[in-house]
Amino acid sequence: MLPDLPADALVLQFRTMLRIRRFEEALITLASDHDIGHFHVYIGQEATGVPALAWLQEGDVAYSTHRNHGHLIARGVDPAAMLAEILGKTTGTNRGKGGTLHLASLVHGFPTTSSSVGGPLPIAVGSAFAFRELRQDRVSVALFGDGALEEGAWHEAANIAAMRQVPVIFLCENNSPEALGQKANEYPSSTLAATELTDLVAPFRIPFEVVDGTDAGAVSAAMGRAVERARAGGGPSFIEARTVRWPGNRPLWPQLLTGETDLAVAWDAARIPDDHRAWHERQDGLLRFLCELLAAGAITQAQALALDAEARAEMVAAVRFGLASPYPAPEEALDDVFA
Amino acid sequence: MTAPARFSVHLPEANAIDATVGRALLERMWLIRAFEEKASELYARGLIKGLLHLGIGQEGSAVGAIARLAPTDRVFGSHRAHAHALAKGADPVRLLAELAGRTTGYCGGKGGSMHIAAPEVGFMTATGIVAGNLPLALGDAWAATLEPSDRVSVVFFGDGAGQAGPFHETLNIASLWRLPIVFICENNGYAEFTPLSAHTKVEHLAEYAGVYGIPAVTIDGNDVFAIHAAVGEAVARARTGDGPTFVEALTHRLRGHYEGDPAKYRELSELAEWKAKDPIARFTAGLIERAWLAEGAATTIEADARTRIEAAAAEALAGPLPGPADLARDVYAAT
Amino acid sequence: MTTDIRTIDAIRGALDEALAGDPAVCLLGEDITLGGPFGATRGLSDRYGEDRVRNTPISEATIMGLAIGAAMAGRRPVLEIMFVDFITLAMDQLVNHAAKLRYMSGGQLCVPLTIRVQGGAAGGMGAHHSQSLEAWFAHVPGLTVVAPSDPADAWGLLASAIRSDDPVVFLEHRGLYWTKGPVPGDGHLVPIGRAVVRRPGRDVTVVAWSRMVNTALDAAEALAADGIDVEVVDARSLLPLDLDTMVASVRRTGRLVVASEAVVTGGVGAEIAASVASAAGGALRAPVERVGAPFVPPPAGPDLEALFVPTADHIASAVRRTLHAA
Repeated sequence: MLPDLPADALVLQFRTMLRIRRFEEALITLASDHDIGHFHVYIGQEATGVPALAWLQEGDVAYSTHRNHGHLIARGVDPAAMLAEILGKTTGTNRGKGGTLHLASLVHGFPTTSSSVGGPLPIAVGSAFAFRELRQDRVSVALFGDGALEEGAWHEAANIAAMRQVPVIFLCENNSPEALGQKANEYPSSTLAATELTDLVAPFRIPFEVVDGTDAGAVSAAMGRAVERARAGGGPSFIEARTVRWPGNRPLWPQLLTGETDLAVAWDAARIPDDHRAWHERQDGLLRFLCELLAAGAITQAQALALDAEARAEMVAAVRFGLASPYPAPEEALDDVFA
Repeated sequence: MTAPARFSVHLPEANAIDATVGRALLERMWLIRAFEEKASELYARGLIKGLLHLGIGQEGSAVGAIARLAPTDRVFGSHRAHAHALAKGADPVRLLAELAGRTTGYCGGKGGSMHIAAPEVGFMTATGIVAGNLPLALGDAWAATLEPSDRVSVVFFGDGAGQAGPFHETLNIASLWRLPIVFICENNGYAEFTPLSAHTKVEHLAEYAGVYGIPAVTIDGNDVFAIHAAVGEAVARARTGDGPTFVEALTHRLRGHYEGDPAKYRELSELAEWKAKDPIARFTAGLIERAWLAEGAATTIEADARTRIEAAAAEALAGPLPGPADLARDVYAAT
Repeated sequence: MTTDIRTIDAIRGALDEALAGDPAVCLLGEDITLGGPFGATRGLSDRYGEDRVRNTPISEATIMGLAIGAAMAGRRPVLEIMFVDFITLAMDQLVNHAAKLRYMSGGQLCVPLTIRVQGGAAGGMGAHHSQSLEAWFAHVPGLTVVAPSDPADAWGLLASAIRSDDPVVFLEHRGLYWTKGPVPGDGHLVPIGRAVVRRPGRDVTVVAWSRMVNTALDAAEALAADGIDVEVVDARSLLPLDLDTMVASVRRTGRLVVASEAVVTGGVGAEIAASVASAAGGALRAPVERVGAPFVPPPAGPDLEALFVPTADHIASAVRRTLHAA
């Protein structure tokens, strides 16, 4: 279903999802002939991040992980600056010091992203703690995957968030069961003994919801409830958003296994490739969102294609910007270690 | 204070405690009580130094649980572990010597109260790190499956450990790997100076175990019959390869968190309430009620325990203190 | 029979040999049944079973304790921590239990555990995937710390680490994983606590370890063209340090440079400098020079990373400074 928003807001969300998708595809293409180091892409999860983060206002903060590109673009960070950062250039969001794993933009409410799994959880609770102490109606969002729930840090962070009733939203993007290390016919993963991820939430008495991460409307509604609860002083919430892991995210390095996204697949079934049929037909949240927008008359095919052309052009320019930008000067290496 | 059991705990008269076993358990509890009170006295006199965490009032859970273990089974304790070491068969002389820093102590005087190790009787180690022993016991249980052996690993910890990350991680792995481990949480209501209710939303820590699919039960930890039965089932489950169990024993420490802690955070009425539920007194009454113990016999048991501990203390304190040559010993295998 | 293999294969070879030769040896770590991120353990779970080569959840604190507990029970576990930067999560168990149980128990307990960690800056991975933290471990009584610089030492030191009855931190460098070198194969052992002279020389001693040994050899070659004859000593073992070899070298050359990839401040280089100066002070004809990373977190991106990692030029400059000092 679609989020309960006017058509122009929905189209804006679609545009953001599209920009994330084209950014990630451009990155994978760039990596095929440039050594840009390892990275993680958000393809397949746009329909979770965009509607969820749309609820955040200026002053709210979010903490993400190694799979952060989509989150940052969703909150308005400039893709060109992100691309430059991924390439280690001085024009990057972190002046070339952080790289893909630590993309940050404080003005957009992303103080830091962490690459230790579970790392963002205690920090997100810390921000929320401060907001409560300072009696601000700001909220803090912890963005993480199912793997983070194996870490003790989850247990400690959730407990303290609950005991202190801090305004934090735990948004868990569960893209298992295709995850590395998982075995068939055992628990949902070979790494977590609970049968439902949310079983881990219950002892903390934190309200939780489980939603289909490709259903933008369901995600939006759940997040809306959580944000309202937090702002009103009602404490933490947990949302599990489930998606099927994008096939291109299964190898160790991302690959365009499903090809560059063909929007026309949303209205012309003949264009659905045989390879990864299920992906194109029902597992790609972006295509699903587009189908629903078309059905609701909120967008036309021509408009969708026009937005796509813009998005592609924007990302081509972002790549060009990144490649053309200079690396930091040697003197900058010592900047920002201390105050 | 009782709580719903997750699996049935049989308390028929014909369970594994009989007159002989009952008497032995009572003797062991009195040995521990006498030991702890003697340790307290020696500490007050400056003959034991450092930090001392006594388990007076918690003898029931240690003794009732460990009575179900075979000599080859292993126990891991927390910082409050004298009772568990003694229950597993540690020699009071060597234990007191260790507390008093003598070379004749189990650890040559190097470990002290919080780091007792008596692996020869299956008490592997105590630890000063809250929840630090959980992963160690997990590893011990995993090793048992590799040997392979049907021995069981038992880890004792307090309610404070339930908030630590490794508690969560250990329960998860124990369940995933179906390890022969028994978790015994001695929930005495206080994590250092703070009541459990200020630390966690759950009323009973057994609820966490359920998350990982581990069978769990919360029982009156001062009822030796109850813990004896519950742990018996748990040990049997582990030994037959059916994986972990979580036993939460509700109990109370009658002293402070450590010797010297005035425990101002605890109401005197609460203390009085728990004194009335003293595990030794209750078990004694239970044995007498079943006509397994004569009325006056308990007094003799107590007296014998105190005599034995008195002698142990004298022997322990006569042991030599370590010197410079001992300082650098046992850092590495070769030293 | 000596063959040329890559460091990553040498590591796997030593693990394979250990698993085959001693039923007490077992492996633990995240994703290791799939070979881990670099393939170090590839194939081992197929050969030895998933009971002995065990995947764990992402729970560094607990899997370190798990490995310690298994070691206490008589296994010889080899634990893999995927990046040394993540060992921070496991430091309590490593420092408070692994390092101290023997001592605290008065010798009753034994922790024959090997911890394999991979670190160093390579691939522009940024601050949480690029640190060199050997100084932390080298500062803890009860630990042993080794760092091989080539495939032969990777095999031989790992084999020795597994045989040791003490907990050993085995520091790998992913920048070395793909370099090839001759390895004798099964039975190869390199003793812990012994440094080795990689290149004899008259004028200056350069002590290095891990990837910096190759960097030092490159610097030596460049300096040879200027008639400066550098002796390169591969420390191999950071705790215990083989000070005898280092001191003997400095007694011959009179000059010392210590080169490592870790940040200079508070590093193992300082320990070597002070210890050698103390033992051989009279022989030193110039102050000791240290080469290492600047005192910054490892930056992401290839260009800044290139500024972060010490180069042969840095070592050569340091060598020259010792020669020009009064």
